[in-house]
Amino acid sequence: MAEQQGIEVRNIGKSFGATRALDDVSFDFRPGEIFAMVGANGAGKSTLIKIICGYYPDYEGEILIDGEPVRFSSPHDATAKGIATVHQIINQGVVQTMTVRENLALAELLSGEGGSVLYQPKKIDARAREIAEKMGLQDIDFDQEVSELEQSERQMIAIARALATDPKLLILDEPTSSISERETEFLFETLFRLKEMGVSILYVSHRLHEIERIADRVGVIRDGQFGGVLERPFNVKQIVTAMVGELDQNIDRKSPVIAAETSPKLEIRDLVIEEGQKPLNLKIHAGEIVGITGLIGAGKSELASVLFGLAQPVSGEILVDGVPIHSRTVKEAIDNGIFMVPEDRANNAVVPEFSIRQNITMPFLKRFFSNPLGILKHGFESEEATRMVQAMGVKCENENSNIGELSGGNQQKVVVARWLMTTFNLLILDEPFQGVDIRSRHDINTYIHENRGSRAILMLAADLDEVLEVADRVVVMNHGMIVGEQHISSIDRETLLHWTSQSPDELQLQA
Amino acid sequence: MENLKSISIKYGFIIVMIASFVGFGLAEPAFWGWHNLFSILLGVTIYGILALGVTFTLVTDGLDLSVGSTAAMSVMMASYFMVVMEMSGMAALVTCLVIGALIGLMNGLLIVKVKIPDLLATLGTMFLIQGLQLIPSGGRSIGTGMMLPNGDEAMGEFTEGFLYLGQGRVFDLIPTPVLFMLALGLIVYVVLEHTRWGRVFYAIGGNAEAARLVGANVDRYRIMAYVLSGLIASFGGVLLAARVGRGDVSSGSGLLLDAVGAALIGFAVLGARKPNAFGTIVGAIFVGMLLNGLTMLNLPYFWQDFIKGSVLVAALAFTFSLAKQR
Repeated sequence: MAEQQGIEVRNIGKSFGATRALDDVSFDFRPGEIFAMVGANGAGKSTLIKIICGYYPDYEGEILIDGEPVRFSSPHDATAKGIATVHQIINQGVVQTMTVRENLALAELLSGEGGSVLYQPKKIDARAREIAEKMGLQDIDFDQEVSELEQSERQMIAIARALATDPKLLILDEPTSSISERETEFLFETLFRLKEMGVSILYVSHRLHEIERIADRVGVIRDGQFGGVLERPFNVKQIVTAMVGELDQNIDRKSPVIAAETSPKLEIRDLVIEEGQKPLNLKIHAGEIVGITGLIGAGKSELASVLFGLAQPVSGEILVDGVPIHSRTVKEAIDNGIFMVPEDRANNAVVPEFSIRQNITMPFLKRFFSNPLGILKHGFESEEATRMVQAMGVKCENENSNIGELSGGNQQKVVVARWLMTTFNLLILDEPFQGVDIRSRHDINTYIHENRGSRAILMLAADLDEVLEVADRVVVMNHGMIVGEQHISSIDRETLLHWTSQSPDELQLQA
Repeated sequence: MENLKSISIKYGFIIVMIASFVGFGLAEPAFWGWHNLFSILLGVTIYGILALGVTFTLVTDGLDLSVGSTAAMSVMMASYFMVVMEMSGMAALVTCLVIGALIGLMNGLLIVKVKIPDLLATLGTMFLIQGLQLIPSGGRSIGTGMMLPNGDEAMGEFTEGFLYLGQGRVFDLIPTPVLFMLALGLIVYVVLEHTRWGRVFYAIGGNAEAARLVGANVDRYRIMAYVLSGLIASFGGVLLAARVGRGDVSSGSGLLLDAVGAALIGFAVLGARKPNAFGTIVGAIFVGMLLNGLTMLNLPYFWQDFIKGSVLVAALAFTFSLAKQR
């Protein structure tokens, strides 16, 4: 038997046409360790993963398994040789209309292992149980349809299936990007167990605080090149520095000083969103950035929906400069000067067929169409789009490139930019840093801080650190209530996390 | 190599079109005659116009399968209004357009408000209208002198002005329907490419949720696409009635597939990869030219559908394979 040396990638290089995506990158993944890989968007992480999992058979350098050079001809070949991958989008890894049992034993079900085309319930069940046991998933209801499961449970099934192949290396690509904090904890427990079983785990994530917590070592890719390996102990700041070089992390917040007597730019007064809930009260002053944090389901998105005219409150008022406003539709909200960058860019914000220019000008098309015939003024539209592209630092060939060619971070800059062409009263940023690399985050953050003027900005994020990165004031929501707030000058993480995680019973007691 | 590919994506269809134009003419010089060229255009006008309506629904990521029967309905109604009810040509025209718009409105409401998937909703209306148009005339074709259920003869006739819509020739050469098709094509092109509405239509087709979240009234635009489709289809029907001069019960058959085919072939023109007015018209003309040329070269008529289907499949394969990789 070969010695357990784990998997090594050596001097990997890869070019796409004239673009050098990876150049001389080497890492080793040891048995029983969680190896985190970080890098800004476009640094070459996904290219390296695709090489390791057999998706790009054509590359320079070599991959060694337990010291033996191997070359994968296809993803299937890589799996057979011990590389299992769980991709970012969970729902691509499971068949929603099938049961848990069928999903677990999907490989056997589809390949008809054993040479039979008949559906063999006993065999499938036995195999499913065997796979579930390895992951400690025995408690799950095997007859349930996957569409009824929570995201994390679906992910567990995808991981369980990946593990069924007895991999030496398990690759997890952004595994926590679409699951809640509680589900994340469950995932981590599983990872620690796998680690004890001697599996190498390659963990790719933007969430540096998670990496700080769970990773044994951190490998850095920077502009397609090897950027070093950090050994424990390390902290987020060191990781960031390794990723993007010395970045001015302390952007000038220019937090406005708010006199007690000034009237707020936006006021939420006794707003009840769902029948029976405690009314919400919140003031945001001119030039102030308020961040609301809270778990998924804490009521952040519901509040945003009401502000943006997507839903109607049960009772209460929303006031701009002291004047009550009513937004029955998105259009009315926009007319009231309330804009929103929605969460989940791909589904809610980007029109994939459109160019960067067309995506930017979407909300305020009227400005670019001369009346009365409504004919487009091409020159003016291009000018404005170029202005926003430059102001936000969108990395692209020009404003007419297709938006699909951009990295996630740059796409996010585009969908933020579309709202910044004109003045507004309130800008809502719902989970603005989902799948956004650190440099783009920094660019967006800087732009918003520098151009806040006398506007109010409301940022919503489940990740406390993302909120702290942006906000002047942090408000915590939990079970539809505002449970507390702190100014950025006096942040106490313990208290904030306590507010975030209180159970409904505890909240009842206080109320 | 890269260059060659991008050129073939962009101009491949046009090059094939010009090549066949030259080829047919060399093989059969009569093909190039003015008279023949206009007869090609005249042959494609009805479904070319219907295809422009289909283009609107395709742009919003829908599809209107009822255009053929809407046009047929229009043929029967125009005839009924003039021949049986003895209405004026103008009144018949306007009423037909209103009926077409109402059919479109019904489609739009079924899809947007009742939330029936577009294909199923318009398939349903297609059947419904196909049946409905037969009822007034008792299932028979309508022409002057036809026997009415009460034993009288229908005494009305197609007015001269109405017939001119379908049979007139400007400068004794250019058939009026061709001018209507080209004018309508130009209007649809301008609306889709150069107006705010067009941009919103495309945005809805690309990502309806994103369009909604920048304030577009997605439901209203979707309904409008079907109303325009119905309106344009009924106008196509009016031209057909005017050309034939009678209300033929079988006049709508085949129009739907030809129209949808032309709009889909349009995806391949200039590498657009999306529904577009210019491509739709070019696609319709290409199919007409191909059939005309092949017929001149003695291709039996029963080959026609096969040729149309082959062109459609080839154009779609080209659009979605080669052009995708850019």
